[in-house]
Amino acid sequence: MIELHDVTKIYAGQTVPAVKNLTLKIKEGETCVFVGPSGCGKSTILRMINRMIEQTSGTILINNKDIRETDPDRLRMGIGYVIQQIGLLPHRTIAENISIVPRLYGWDKERIRKRVDELLELMGLDPDETRAKYPAQLSGGQMQRVGVARAMAADPPIMLMDEPFGAVDPIVRGHLQDEFLKLQREMKKTICFVTHDINEAIKMGDTIAIFEKGQLVQHGTPQEILSHPKNEFVSTFIGTDRVVKMLTLFQVRNITDMNPCIVRENEMANIRQKMDDQQADVCVLMNESTKPCGLITRDDLEKAGDLSPEKIMKIACSKKDAFINADLLLNDALSLMLEWDCDYLGVLDGSQLIGVVSLEDIRECVCRKEGE
Amino acid sequence: MSNLLKYMLENTSIIMDYASTHFSLIFSAVAISLLLWIPLGILISRNERLASIVLGIANTIFCIPSLALFSVFVTIPFLGLGRPSALLALVLYAMMPMVINVYQGIKVVDKSVIEAAKGMGMSSKRILREIQLPLAAPVMFAGIRITVVMATGIAAIAAYIGERNLGRLITEGLTRYHVEMILSGAILIALIAILFDTVLGAVEKMLVPKGLKVSRSK
Repeated sequence: MIELHDVTKIYAGQTVPAVKNLTLKIKEGETCVFVGPSGCGKSTILRMINRMIEQTSGTILINNKDIRETDPDRLRMGIGYVIQQIGLLPHRTIAENISIVPRLYGWDKERIRKRVDELLELMGLDPDETRAKYPAQLSGGQMQRVGVARAMAADPPIMLMDEPFGAVDPIVRGHLQDEFLKLQREMKKTICFVTHDINEAIKMGDTIAIFEKGQLVQHGTPQEILSHPKNEFVSTFIGTDRVVKMLTLFQVRNITDMNPCIVRENEMANIRQKMDDQQADVCVLMNESTKPCGLITRDDLEKAGDLSPEKIMKIACSKKDAFINADLLLNDALSLMLEWDCDYLGVLDGSQLIGVVSLEDIRECVCRKEGE
Repeated sequence: MSNLLKYMLENTSIIMDYASTHFSLIFSAVAISLLLWIPLGILISRNERLASIVLGIANTIFCIPSLALFSVFVTIPFLGLGRPSALLALVLYAMMPMVINVYQGIKVVDKSVIEAAKGMGMSSKRILREIQLPLAAPVMFAGIRITVVMATGIAAIAAYIGERNLGRLITEGLTRYHVEMILSGAILIALIAILFDTVLGAVEKMLVPKGLKVSRSK
């Protein structure tokens, strides 16, 4: 657990504090994202936690112990540190880079070798291929991975990450974020994560701390921040697509109607009857191999008038791609709905149909969360 | 040409004598310089204020013509004519190329590498030993190379203040207008300087850490 009590930092030769009277608590196992425009003091806060910068006043506690009581080098060995520029040692191999902190702890060679391979694998790098390479031989994305692996080498309970995925292109960044989230779900480390990108903050953070000019403006879960921005600054920082961003907080699975109306190819004649019975506004068409092959809505049926099986089939098949994986997010669902001009999507788990989701469900979910 | 060879062959023993004095002056000057200026370069890489003072002094000394510096030292009682004055002057001239290269070599190491290393808990001593010095080695060595080549040339001028080295062939040759003598001195000194430069240049290349020579394509 990390606690900051009334922490202020004034850099030498300046009168305006870079960080002013900051009090913040980061719970164990939580990822807290510091976000704000450049110059808001977020990196300064991060660097005070491992004493790269000494605070002017106030106290910082890690597990109830004042960090000033620990020798700075010793303190830093116990805290993973990842920076945007990565800072791999160019004259050392990847294995040597990753083993820096274990070597400082004096681990034996065999233990270090094992740990390096384990970490490389964890980060999705082939140990045999990567181990002996030098940083200059890796791509940007691979270097970022090594940077994270190096910070995790001695399994520190706390990690400080300063725009760790900032130096790679958006696609690689997305991958790295997903992989790290997956890892973090198992590792449960206490993480301070700095970014200027609100989307990254919403994606990575259990809580988000928004800063402006050295002061904490709002600290809360992504949902709290998105549904109740504290002031004009926070709203502006989040952007006008605030509610759409909220959609990224929920998986399609969360709001899926698990009892969809299903019609098989041979039951097509009774489709209207079946939908009435289930009071459904949408129906999923299944072929013989019980694979969903299309959607049809009540509106479609009404418009069609004539209900020959061929016609129904044709309408349904025009929406044969209106399905979404249950793990995807509500913003993805909304996007697909707009793409197919359809208020409903079939929800899949793998290739198995598990339900349907409607635009109405999304709207309700958002309104409910807004009200909370 | 044949006269030149004839002269050199007839005076081999004295030329060898001069050459050995020449080498001993270069080596003692470079050895003392290494001991003094490398630590000083490291020291000033950690203190900007000190750095500007020291680099200013080194620069100023470097600007003084060597003949002038030698002559001034001769007038100082402890130094006088000969080795002590010559040695002191050479060591002072070496300050500029050596200190500045050590300083620059350490300073140009990527800041983010140092930041990351510090953030992982490496002590500043360890960072110096394991990161800054290995990465600065080629630049530092370039300074040593310049010093050796420069000392070879300036040592010849010390012949004016009584050093009995290859420079003497030139100074004496000039007073007697002995062409073969002048030429053998000049050629030998130039050859030695070129030889040093070539050999040390090769060593400098070997000092570049392997990780800096590789690229993704390999």
